[in-house]
Amino acid sequence: MNRHDLKTIIYAEKTKEENNKYRHKICVCCGASCISSGSEEVMKKLQEEIKTRGLENEVEVVPTGCMGPCNQGPLMKFLPEYNIYQKIDCSNISAIVQSQLTEKKPIEDLLLFADSREKPFLDAQEDPFFKKQMKIALRNCGHINPERIEDYLVHNGYQALDKVLFEMSPEEVIAEIKQSRLRGRGGAGYPTGFKWETVYKYVSDQKYVICNGDEGDPGAFMDRSVLEGNPHRVLEGMAIAGYAVGASKGYAYIRGEYPLAIKRFELAIKQARKMGLLGNNILGTSFSFDIEVRIGAGAFVCGEETALIASIEGKRGTPRPRPPFPAESGLWGKPTLINNVESFAAISPIINNGGEWYSEIGTPKSAGTKVFALAGKIKYSGLIEVPMGTTLREIVFDIGGGMQNDADFKAAQTGGPSGGCIPAEHLDVKMDYESLVSLGSIMGSGGLIIMDKSSDMVDVARYFMEFCMDESCGKCVPCRVGTRMMHDLLQKICDNKGTQIDLNRLEELAVYVKETSLCGLGGSAPNPLLSTLRHFRQEYENRIVKHD
Amino acid sequence: MKSGTAVHTKELSKTDPRVKLIAAKMKKENYKPDALIEILHTAQNAYGYLPKEVLAYITKALHLPPSRVYSTVTFYHFFSLKSKGEHTCLVCTGTACYVKGAQAILNEIEKKLGLKAGQVSADDKLGVQVARCIGACGLAPAVVLDDEVQAKVSPDEIIKKINIKIGTV
Amino acid sequence: MNTIPVIINDKKLDVDPGKTILEVCRENDIEMLTMCHLKGVMDIGACRLCLVEVEGANKLMSACTTRVNANMIVRTATDKIKRYQRITTELFFAERNHVCSVCVANGKCELQQLGYKVELDHIRYPHLFPQCEVDTSHPWYVMDHNRCIMCTRCVRVCTEVEGAHNWDVMNRGHQVRIISDFNTPWGESITCTSCGKCLHACPTGAIWPKAIVQGQLEKKPEMLSELMEKRKMKL
Repeated sequence: MNRHDLKTIIYAEKTKEENNKYRHKICVCCGASCISSGSEEVMKKLQEEIKTRGLENEVEVVPTGCMGPCNQGPLMKFLPEYNIYQKIDCSNISAIVQSQLTEKKPIEDLLLFADSREKPFLDAQEDPFFKKQMKIALRNCGHINPERIEDYLVHNGYQALDKVLFEMSPEEVIAEIKQSRLRGRGGAGYPTGFKWETVYKYVSDQKYVICNGDEGDPGAFMDRSVLEGNPHRVLEGMAIAGYAVGASKGYAYIRGEYPLAIKRFELAIKQARKMGLLGNNILGTSFSFDIEVRIGAGAFVCGEETALIASIEGKRGTPRPRPPFPAESGLWGKPTLINNVESFAAISPIINNGGEWYSEIGTPKSAGTKVFALAGKIKYSGLIEVPMGTTLREIVFDIGGGMQNDADFKAAQTGGPSGGCIPAEHLDVKMDYESLVSLGSIMGSGGLIIMDKSSDMVDVARYFMEFCMDESCGKCVPCRVGTRMMHDLLQKICDNKGTQIDLNRLEELAVYVKETSLCGLGGSAPNPLLSTLRHFRQEYENRIVKHD
Repeated sequence: MKSGTAVHTKELSKTDPRVKLIAAKMKKENYKPDALIEILHTAQNAYGYLPKEVLAYITKALHLPPSRVYSTVTFYHFFSLKSKGEHTCLVCTGTACYVKGAQAILNEIEKKLGLKAGQVSADDKLGVQVARCIGACGLAPAVVLDDEVQAKVSPDEIIKKINIKIGTV
Repeated sequence: MNTIPVIINDKKLDVDPGKTILEVCRENDIEMLTMCHLKGVMDIGACRLCLVEVEGANKLMSACTTRVNANMIVRTATDKIKRYQRITTELFFAERNHVCSVCVANGKCELQQLGYKVELDHIRYPHLFPQCEVDTSHPWYVMDHNRCIMCTRCVRVCTEVEGAHNWDVMNRGHQVRIISDFNTPWGESITCTSCGKCLHACPTGAIWPKAIVQGQLEKKPEMLSELMEKRKMKL
């Protein structure tokens, strides 16, 4: 297929949508969370209901990706009114359809957050949960059917790929990404544009693009939602990256725990191949690019880039020392670009709207938006996307609706086992890379766990240390033995048997492991311990056996 | 424990549909050693675990050293060398589930069913496992019972559901 | 050949580009502690004993895997590095069951020597005392996991020099173990050629020949690099 054919298809799809324009569109959230709460059954019931009422030509029912408020699922959204219903019970569907479509008014008691707010917002976009958000990476999640490429095409899909192939040189693409000041969303925050440029500069007969979807942080499900809700966006980002750095082959490494994401991404690849958006001579140009999915087999350390490469090569996922960086010598020794799912999802809006547009969102050092997975002891948990620099207070109290049971906020854990805890006195911290690091935490991939007074911070540190101990690959001494030692010492303190000497040793080991470990897993494993020691030292002191 | 099993213990039946599945996968991957993990996924899905004779079969077909295959298998959580039980109960212990009481669920399972995480009941009916995070944090605490996610469960509820599964009610 | 200038411990050296910091240090009699390094096989940077401070780098670099750059400024013996070397050594000893007095390698053990070098008088961390087996199934050799420090020198020698790939590593984290074949007893391995190279590669008393008793072990780690040199000359 060439460029003209693509335009024809998009035009045909758009006119089709305009001509037999449905009066209503009902979106049913079919993200993994909502499916677990029974949204597939809701979908079936709803379709039956529409059929019995003979409304097939007026109402379009669309299964979509994640809408956001995951613990209120299953969710159902009526467009254009933007009425969202929560916790759908199949027995209510008939009444909802009757009220919405025939009587033209929503049933307020069943609307989103009706059971927890004084009065629900009829137009969900007015609800603080959505109002404070800014969706770029998640733009079409919850609006389009992720299993239909046509849906994506109608919403400006593959326009960015078309633009770079016909109007831009690789250098211009890289310049645009650099201008956007996009930083790696996997956690470390390395400027994406520079990474692309480095790979671009190495001369090689073969280069690779890898999408890191091995989202291993417990409490994080951003990449999963993006892959499930809008797989084509990630695919397009990868293809653009391939064009920019000169790679013809891509790998998407997706966690084995995410079967739905794998299924939808594989489907997306098939559809894109069929349309000539992947494969040889994309859109009739000389650019060829194809993607293969590799399924992770359950190892947290494989999120580390060199370990991920080893895993794609079919080996134990053990990291190796850098340099050489993957940009120089990566997969099978070839220059390799590795970016996170969310980074790839940000590419096509940057190309479409310009790097300058993106760079103006967020803070001067951390541009753009960030997706967070909000969970824990908070009223509304789920998936949110906010501009960088939004304060933690806004996220917890405006978007998240405050604490569950109106308990006192104690701490927010960011960055999973590599991050740290932010205490209540820092609720006004801006969520960006530098501010979080200055508090001893990290941005990480975007897991955000809210804790109340019932959480014991020493136990939280022990929990994460146990995680790192189990997930250590066992290659280097500090991480293999050090995490075990720290875990044992933390367990001792949790059992109220620790002494001041144990605490001193723990601190010494923490700094040692942080500085000497081979890879990022070991290098960041002490973070939860160090940050709780910094902000909640009293809790450790209270646990220690005092000798008179 | 080392049990004295040599590599060439048992021959696999070529007509076994599961063996055919693995053979087809290996052929599709061109017997490339770097497809080892993909092939192991296929085998694990077909058998529910990785019996030694299957590993020996794959090792031979891909011309890999046995220790290279074994080291890869034991590195990843997904692969299991022994049966995981007819029914599986996977308790998520991700951070969100942990702060919402995953441990209480595990304790209850141990108390009522006598199984710790990683153990399989003597009759091979039920296996209890823990997952680091299944990514359903909004539904915490979550338990996966035979591929079905049970959201926001209490310890009592999950015991009831398990008992229905394994037919002891 | 063109040389490049580097500064190691305030001393200016002209060295061949392409060499690792470790190679340069060894050639210039600058003491470097190593454990997983073995001349002749690939370096993996796992023991973290050869960490050095490189000016401009935001972390400590392992000397065995980092190549020298022009005008690189390296420090190998700062207080911090010495402190970390001591902790690493302590962790080595605490990880498994090292009892020098009854060990075949007593007096010839690289780990023991490392202890002397970092002036280790006692170990501050609790010993883990894991239960490890001793594999005596091979007719000539013994593998004692109690004394293994997971340097994986045997694995690399077996794979890269002998080409047998009998050894590999199983599990992960603190559960790692050296295995032969499918975790089969060494004596039943179908890949082992009984060449004995692993024996000489092993820095401790983990792999040893059966006929000897305490303290009698003779190891020849340099044998391997000599072997590699001879092979190169033949080519």
